[in-house]
Amino acid sequence: MTKNSAGKTSLSRRILSIVLFTVAAVLLIVSIGGYIIQGTAGTKAQLNTMRTRAVLHAASGGLVDQIAEAANASALKEIRKDPNFRSMGTNEIQRRKDEVVAKARAEAEALYAVPENVDNDTIEQKISVLEEALLERDEIMSREKEAYASVFTSVTERVSGWVAITEGKTPDEIWNAMTAACPELGSHAELKEGMISMAGQMAQKEAEDAAKEEAETGTDDASAEISEDSMSSAAEVDYTWFVASGALNTASEKAEEKYADLWAELCNVIPDLATLDDKTCESVRTDIQSIIASADESFNIRYKAYVSEKADEILKPEDAGKLRVVSNAENFLLLGIAVLLLALLYTFWKPVTRKMGVPRSIILLFFIYLLLTAQFYKININLMLGDILERVGMYGVLALAMLPGIQCGIGLNMGMTIGCISGLFAIVVSLQYNMTGAPALIFSLVLGILVAIPLGWAYSLLLNRMKGNEMTISTYVGFSFVSLMCIGWMALPFNNPKIIWMLAGHGLRVTHGLLGSFAHVLDRFLSFKIFGVTVPSGTVLFFLVCCLLIWIFSRSKLGIRMTAVGSNPRFAEASGINVDSMRTLGTVLSTVLAAIGIVIYSQSFGYAQLYNAPRQLGFIAASAILIGGATTKKASVGHVLIGVFLFEGVLCMGQQVANAAIAGGGLSEVMRIMISNGIILYALTQSGGDSRG
Amino acid sequence: MADRKGFAENLKKYAVTYLFIAISVFFIIVSKLDMNYVCSQLLLRLNRNAFIVLALIIPIVAGMGINFAITIGAMAAQIGLLLTINWGVTGFTGILLAAGITLPLGLLFGFLIGKMLNKMKGQETIGSMILGYFANGAYQLLFLFIFGNIIPLNKNVTIVGATGVQNTLNLTGDTGLYKAVDGILALPFFTAVWILCGALAAWSVIQFIRKKYNQKKLIVNLSLSAVISLLYVFPDIRAVFDGSKGGRVITVPVITWVIILMLCVFNSLIMKTKLGQKFRAVGQNRTVANASGINVNRTRLIAIMISTVLAGWGQILFMQSEGIGTFQTYAAHEQVGLYAGAAILVGGASIDRATNWQALLGTFLFHSLFITAQNAASNLFGDSVIGEYFRAFLSYGVIALALVLYAWKGAQKRKPGNELKGAVKN
Repeated sequence: MTKNSAGKTSLSRRILSIVLFTVAAVLLIVSIGGYIIQGTAGTKAQLNTMRTRAVLHAASGGLVDQIAEAANASALKEIRKDPNFRSMGTNEIQRRKDEVVAKARAEAEALYAVPENVDNDTIEQKISVLEEALLERDEIMSREKEAYASVFTSVTERVSGWVAITEGKTPDEIWNAMTAACPELGSHAELKEGMISMAGQMAQKEAEDAAKEEAETGTDDASAEISEDSMSSAAEVDYTWFVASGALNTASEKAEEKYADLWAELCNVIPDLATLDDKTCESVRTDIQSIIASADESFNIRYKAYVSEKADEILKPEDAGKLRVVSNAENFLLLGIAVLLLALLYTFWKPVTRKMGVPRSIILLFFIYLLLTAQFYKININLMLGDILERVGMYGVLALAMLPGIQCGIGLNMGMTIGCISGLFAIVVSLQYNMTGAPALIFSLVLGILVAIPLGWAYSLLLNRMKGNEMTISTYVGFSFVSLMCIGWMALPFNNPKIIWMLAGHGLRVTHGLLGSFAHVLDRFLSFKIFGVTVPSGTVLFFLVCCLLIWIFSRSKLGIRMTAVGSNPRFAEASGINVDSMRTLGTVLSTVLAAIGIVIYSQSFGYAQLYNAPRQLGFIAASAILIGGATTKKASVGHVLIGVFLFEGVLCMGQQVANAAIAGGGLSEVMRIMISNGIILYALTQSGGDSRG
Repeated sequence: MADRKGFAENLKKYAVTYLFIAISVFFIIVSKLDMNYVCSQLLLRLNRNAFIVLALIIPIVAGMGINFAITIGAMAAQIGLLLTINWGVTGFTGILLAAGITLPLGLLFGFLIGKMLNKMKGQETIGSMILGYFANGAYQLLFLFIFGNIIPLNKNVTIVGATGVQNTLNLTGDTGLYKAVDGILALPFFTAVWILCGALAAWSVIQFIRKKYNQKKLIVNLSLSAVISLLYVFPDIRAVFDGSKGGRVITVPVITWVIILMLCVFNSLIMKTKLGQKFRAVGQNRTVANASGINVNRTRLIAIMISTVLAGWGQILFMQSEGIGTFQTYAAHEQVGLYAGAAILVGGASIDRATNWQALLGTFLFHSLFITAQNAASNLFGDSVIGEYFRAFLSYGVIALALVLYAWKGAQKRKPGNELKGAVKN
């Protein structure tokens, strides 16, 4: 490259990075300005005006709804009068009905448009009184519910064997048994009645579950695979038996009273409100209360809630514009941070990417961004770190299985699914013989390894004959093996009724819950609680020990020889190393680690999934080690450790942030697909681009 | 003697195809399905899938292996169909509009795919597959979060009360896209056969007059068309196709087949042009092609762009004929590459060689297995689910087998002495 062109590129780079920094600065300034404006008295007053307007609109909206409802009810009758009624299709009828309702609604809206000259001050004053009452009530309620939730979870965690506790016992005996198991309960005498009825229900459920397990475990709807995203650490709290205290009751009554006051005032302004029927009245009340109770939410949420009641119509256009910008201050802040990070990356592109590679830099940046955003969405970082740790333990050994493959020169071993299936086979055998606890885990590990060794050996013989194409072949061999084993799972002679299809009478089910077997056995080993997070020490320790063993191995004479084959096969051959046997060693090791990995994965996950479930595991493991900085030719234990943490960290945080930011979900899945495949693509472009001219 | 040796060689070369013919025949017998049903399904699936399978040929000839990234072409087609439905353009015009939208999108996507694949020479098969997966993520992003939010769409294609495009899009009813091509002109099976045989006979006579065919070939062709046309006189065979003994009347969607045949002609004509020669040269040996002044990367780029656009159009043909006239917005493209790739390999193509006939035969065989596998499995093992899994196994298995055979051949070629080392970087 000549000096001149280098100077040019750096000039345009410099201009672009200055532009990026400027954009970031503007966004940040706007957002800070927005936050300041949010705090000013004028804006607060405007927001309060909007709230009054929103309340009025909600009230008149009730009237409109009632009219529209009535129109809807009578619409069909109207349409029936049409001579062509018989020839109409359902679509046509629906369309006409919609038309009639829309017309009625428009008319009603014109009729009950919120009058401009309302005595806002009286209403506003009543609203703020109600707001106080509501906030007080909500505060008490949330405090009490929290206390209840903590009691509830500790009861459900500590008390087991509900049938034994309740069967043939008097209520007092049940209560005593429960308080004995869970001393916390003793200080909540008000819950006595509720807890006793809960015990009854729990016992009933337990008995039902047991009966189901006994008679017909496998109905065909158990075929659905379980997504990891549905895994939630906290159990659902059932508020059925919640008992309100005296203070809460008083607060609620007071809030009711204030609402009645406000309602009377509203009826003054819009006289027709008195004609509302009870149902609409109730829904209007919920609307208004939710508008008012959002007072302690963030500016943006309040603003959006009011705008959805068309409260922005009352503002002057320029004020409305200003408030819209101001309400988006947090979005500007997030965007500003993103652009700032991007600008930093762009400016320091060369030094950063030279050291870490393009995708890893981007993902690291993304990781930092997610961390900042998570703070912003008030996501509990401790809990999230706990989740990440759990997933690191879960996927760690699987990612480690990629390592020997890369080291011995077969590249990304997508055929590690062969090992995964060996491990799953071992798990299913342990279930067949009703093994439980640690022995089941150890048995699965040992049998998985024993099955994986010959399979891995056979697989390596295939790979040794087609050097240079391993990744393509291993992927499709892996896929084929998964499909072949789909038939295998159906045809193998397992006969324990707990694990086969009940209706067909043969064939293994897709998902096997391991709660009765060895789920979380390793997680709980030496586990401790810190900052409210349960650390799955056993699993993490197991992963680290595996890493250590592999590290020691790669330092041994044998390991060095194997790595030499991977990094330079010709040189290795010239120095007298048997290339094929080293490749075989690496492949078998990779397959064995995959078998161990899937057993650990299943014990963490709590489920063993057969059939098509293991198909994508190779891709996940490959992305993890590649993100850690490995290439298809070179990798180390450090890459595995960094990679698993980064990959799982980004996925875990991304999932929570995405769920917090956009309701409905799906974004996290998109992110997973794109990150995981993007990084593999990048590795491929690095490996195959130039060599085979 | 020479003949027998030729046959043995042939058997070895097309082992996969012969194996599949055997399995197909076996399955058709075991499944005990009505021949009328099998034939009608087969014809339906042939005219749905043939175009997409044919779209794989050019990249194979250009040495880029099975282009699993045709899924991306299918995504382009689905974007086209979505917009067509959204704008309310109906019928054949709608199909043309969708195809028109697919063209620039397919070219763009094809360009990007080609750029990526040029960076991973020798790994195109796996690379294009993972590109397909990656693009699936981008597709979901587009359909879930960008369409309907940033790009406004009509209410009838978006999910009410949530973000994104509906899970199923409807091609029937008002949209009028369902069977918009198939339905233009549908002839009874034997009428179509007669037209085809007549055309073949006429073509043979013309070629004979132009002295391109010898007497033997003319007689073979004429008698072949005569025999096939006269199958009609056997009531049993006739009954299979016209439903006179129960079952449905099998019709041939003429326009669809004309389009498919046009693609066949295109595929063979393009190989005779200068560009086609370049494809071939690059496919046989990039180093030699580069040395003889061909821009290898550019040629590969063009091959992939053509393939992507064709795959997109194939997907439109597939959609307008498929099932009950609805398509799964988020899943319809996922298996396109797998099934098409498996089909062409079943027909006797390999990673570096493919023809129109192999594509058509492969589609025929692969789908005859698809139709019969479930019933065959339930008759053999008393369980139809096994048939389902067997189908999946066949798809992946045949691709794995083809890859292994190809790599094996390459490894033998690369043994000391035959090696082409120090390949020039292009």
